[in-house]
Amino acid sequence: MMLRRRKSLTTRLTLLFAVVSSSVLLILGLVIAELVERHFEDMDLELLEGKLELIQHAVISARAEGDFDGLPAQLDAALIGHHGLAVGVWGSDGKQLYLSEGADFPQRNYLPKQGSPLPRTWQGKEEQHYRGTSGLAPTGAEGEAPLEVLLSTSLTHHEHFMQSFRLTMWAVVILAALLSGFLGWLVARRGLAPLRNITRRASDITANSLDQRIEAGEIPAELAEVVNTLNDMLGRLKESFDRLSDFSSDIAHELRTPVSNLLTQTQVMLSKVRSIDEYQDVLASNAEELERLSRTIADMLFLAKADNHLLVPTQEPIDLKAEISGMLEFYEPLIDEKHLQLTLHGNAEVDGDRLMLRRAVGNLLSNAIRHTPEHGFINIALEIEDEKVRVRIENSGETIPSEHLPRLFDRFYRVDSSRQRAGEGSGLGLAITKSIALAHNGSVSVNSTDGVTRFSLWLPARKS
Amino acid sequence: MRILVVEDEPKTGDYLKQGLTEAGFMVDLARDGLDGLHLALTEAYDLAVLDVMLPGIEGWQVLQGIRKAGKDMPVLFLTARDSVDDRVKGLELGADDYLVKPFAFSELLARVRTLLRRGSKTKEADVLRAADLELDLIRRRVTRAGKKIDLTSKEFSLLELLLRRQGEVLPRSLIASQVWDMNFDSDTNVIEVAIRRLRAKVDDSFELKLIHTVRGMGYVLETAE
Repeated sequence: MMLRRRKSLTTRLTLLFAVVSSSVLLILGLVIAELVERHFEDMDLELLEGKLELIQHAVISARAEGDFDGLPAQLDAALIGHHGLAVGVWGSDGKQLYLSEGADFPQRNYLPKQGSPLPRTWQGKEEQHYRGTSGLAPTGAEGEAPLEVLLSTSLTHHEHFMQSFRLTMWAVVILAALLSGFLGWLVARRGLAPLRNITRRASDITANSLDQRIEAGEIPAELAEVVNTLNDMLGRLKESFDRLSDFSSDIAHELRTPVSNLLTQTQVMLSKVRSIDEYQDVLASNAEELERLSRTIADMLFLAKADNHLLVPTQEPIDLKAEISGMLEFYEPLIDEKHLQLTLHGNAEVDGDRLMLRRAVGNLLSNAIRHTPEHGFINIALEIEDEKVRVRIENSGETIPSEHLPRLFDRFYRVDSSRQRAGEGSGLGLAITKSIALAHNGSVSVNSTDGVTRFSLWLPARKS
Repeated sequence: MRILVVEDEPKTGDYLKQGLTEAGFMVDLARDGLDGLHLALTEAYDLAVLDVMLPGIEGWQVLQGIRKAGKDMPVLFLTARDSVDDRVKGLELGADDYLVKPFAFSELLARVRTLLRRGSKTKEADVLRAADLELDLIRRRVTRAGKKIDLTSKEFSLLELLLRRQGEVLPRSLIASQVWDMNFDSDTNVIEVAIRRLRAKVDDSFELKLIHTVRGMGYVLETAE
């Protein structure tokens, strides 16, 4: 298995800076070295050609004075002060007329061969480098063949220069790498400071301080999105957390009240001897209360299962109209007793869990029946909209203030918090309906205007 | 009728034994799986009530042991977890019904009686009677003291259920599921209202009341006051 060490951003940036700046400097140095070298070559050739011209003049003037006896003296004078410059002059018959001191030409006997000019540069006997050229020097006399001339200049001087240039260049490159690496490190540290800030803030946030947010004020634009995402996440966490702790305290409250009632009632009863009727009465009332408690517990377990995605609805074709008609038969006694007007319109089929869907719709129905005043109405409509089935249950009654609407499907939520058990519901019915809808990939919604409250249960329509 | 109860929780066991005994059954109580299996295999029972979470050997093993020995008495199992797996497992192993704890005793009693009735295949009568009340299943007619009573179809079903199980206290949840096929606990008082309306038609104008409310338990139809 390959183990890759996680490199810090600072290290990466430092290395990157060093590599980039030293490569740029290196390329620059190499280009300069090349240019300097070429410049030296040009200078050398210019020098050699100038000297060749000089020699040509010297040859003509020496010939005019007679033979070439004066030539060496003339050339010696012309070459004074030119260290490293070597000259050789030969007659057309191959006779050496002049050879300067220290000359080190590569061709045997220094004799240039016609048509084979000197190599541009060569290595001499003492490991020295030379650059050279050759040429002809006309004597100026009629019918005489021109003299042959070889010129060379030593490159030692240039080489020294280039060597020290390269040395300097490498030194500069290494220094620059270190310096820019350091600068990179500095920049990275400074640049990443907001990130460290965010980390510190985020690590300070605990379950008890979920309302804290990471301030986006001094944060660079690139990080603002991260911060916003984090803050949004904190918001959602806080919301869930609040709901959860609300739920826990609600559970405690919902269970504690009946349990303490039961306890008190039982203990009061036991405090003295009573008639059988009284005992029976209390036991019956206890049984009723306990039944309600056990129903609440069962409902809470159902919701806990839904929260943990353990509600797995079966998928069977369900004729919603038939199901709702069946349920209305069940609720008929209540509907009759309150003299409610009831209508059921539309038709729809869905795939789902029959028992769960009955429960979901049943909760909406019993909720509607409970909150409709006598002689009110309940209208049920089954509609198909955009591949979704909508079960709409509307009832007349008091308009629910809009601030309560979003929380109606919350557990134990009551519009009037002081009203306890007035409607005998456990306060979990709508939450269960919502859980069932979600387990079926559906949703729930509610609105309330002008004395009519509309609950809607949305379910995916049956795929044909 | 002999019933075997296998339950390790002391209070639950005692109450089950007391309740079933008072309901007219002969009850043997085993406090763990080994005792339970031993009793089930050596004695003759008409029904077994089995808690599946037991010390020693599990309820499932007791159930398997009973079925392996070729005993086909109905078995009702009790489970604390309402998980589909548990239910499926129990029914696959040969249980006949189950109840999730906590359950109402009246519910247990009703289920026990249903299971026992299932075994005995006596021919159902065409006319059900209680005192001067008559319910004719074929003509779907109800009379009391010779006078015809008009009932809705659900009221008819409700009265039929009460008559068939005369003397048994029927819990609301059982009534809801048998008459209306409502298998979840409704948090409304529908059954109460339905019974009240039925009572108005069947009992109100007569001296002898037949339909009684047993507070905290359910409803019963009986001829004795």
